[in-house]
Amino acid sequence: MKFDFEYMLSLFPEIIKFLPIVLYIGTLSFLLAIVIGFVFSIIIKNKVKILYPILKVIISYSRGVPTLIQIFILYFGVPQIFPSFSSMNAITAVIIALSLRNGAYLSEVFRSAFLAVDKEQYEACLSVNMTKWQALRTVILPQVVRISIPPAGNYYIMIIKDTSLAFTIGVIDMMARAKLEAAVSYKFLEAYLMVGIIYWMISIVLSFLQSKLEHAVEKPYRKEELK
Amino acid sequence: MIKITNLHKSYGSTVVLKGIDLEIAEGEVVAIIGPSGSGKSTFLRCINFLEEAQVGTIEIDGIKVDLENYTKKHVSDIRKKTGMVFQNYGLFKNKNALHNVSEPVRLTRNTSRQEAEQLAYKILANVGLQGKEHNYPVALSGGQQQRVGIARALALDPYVILFDEPTSSLDPELVEEVLNVMKSVINSKRTMIVVTHEMDFAQSVADRVVFMADGVIIEQGAPKDIFQNPQNERTQKFLRSYLHKSK
Repeated sequence: MKFDFEYMLSLFPEIIKFLPIVLYIGTLSFLLAIVIGFVFSIIIKNKVKILYPILKVIISYSRGVPTLIQIFILYFGVPQIFPSFSSMNAITAVIIALSLRNGAYLSEVFRSAFLAVDKEQYEACLSVNMTKWQALRTVILPQVVRISIPPAGNYYIMIIKDTSLAFTIGVIDMMARAKLEAAVSYKFLEAYLMVGIIYWMISIVLSFLQSKLEHAVEKPYRKEELK
Repeated sequence: MIKITNLHKSYGSTVVLKGIDLEIAEGEVVAIIGPSGSGKSTFLRCINFLEEAQVGTIEIDGIKVDLENYTKKHVSDIRKKTGMVFQNYGLFKNKNALHNVSEPVRLTRNTSRQEAEQLAYKILANVGLQGKEHNYPVALSGGQQQRVGIARALALDPYVILFDEPTSSLDPELVEEVLNVMKSVINSKRTMIVVTHEMDFAQSVADRVVFMADGVIIEQGAPKDIFQNPQNERTQKFLRSYLHKSK
């Protein structure tokens, strides 16, 4: 059996150098996905004319077509029809594809979170003469956020992992670096295992942070911690 | 004065309120009783526009609204005059007792945070919740939650407080503490409309009892008259079944 453990470890600093680009693409995509998901959920909730049927198609596409194919369609395909898109760089293409795709999923998360907030909460706001906006801001949204954090956190981790597809259109990220190392040394197992372990560690750290955040926002809803 | 005339409300083809007329003097306590599905809760919710009635007029303390032709401003003016206490308390689940009471004051009465909180401390103490100000609803008993609900309504100093079956969700042993708080509100001469199944409460503290069934007011009068000498057959039947249940 041949397994070069030392070589594998030596790759760690090489690959981790590209962590910032992974976090950049992943985090920006996630933040945009939240905005997109939120806007989508409002359009769905209010069944806005014209936009609603269009949105249903977009959401169906985003959920039904594999991420990699969506990235290819956006990066290689769209400039064919809209030449102005040919100046789009690979990182932008990945961010657009990931944020649109996950925004579609998050719209469902937000929609169900809105539904999960008791109708009486809104009525109570109106009964004290709050405006719709005041009700949303001070009572409804904080509860929507609380309900959305666990599923949204999972999407963040998924997006971070999906950024590893970016190397296919030429983005130099952790995966691209690992692939390059493997191609040079022919030590595929070591290289891919290392990059896999790094992604794994990232997701463990993020899961930990997520549970801390959940714990903090759940505070008002826990009996035992209050006297 | 509160004056409601010819109030009609329907959900699609289902008619729920078939022309309600009711006049209530300032400081009067009116208990609305009646069988489930009689429209009494819907009627109450129409008064502060949580439900939209289609026909009729609502007048509260000089604010008069024609239900066939009104604006957002009308709704807001009426809501300033009304407070509401909900069957399931309706407390903001993301806010502690203090902020449940102070935030509406701060947001709708142009009051500073500090002033609003001072007021909230005072009113919560009045309903017997001193020391519970920083508890979230989940850490309060049903009776305590409902007292916060009453405090929230009181803090806005409304002309009238609408109580929508305020004790129906409570365990029997907690009903008393809420009724006691309500009695203290009555002593402060606040106008109150109470939809209730607590016949003893209606009998002992209301100035007037209104019996509703099938979307209309069947009979109304002093508690003594309604409970001891009901004129209408429907009222008699309802009260009989009620007495039967409590035995």
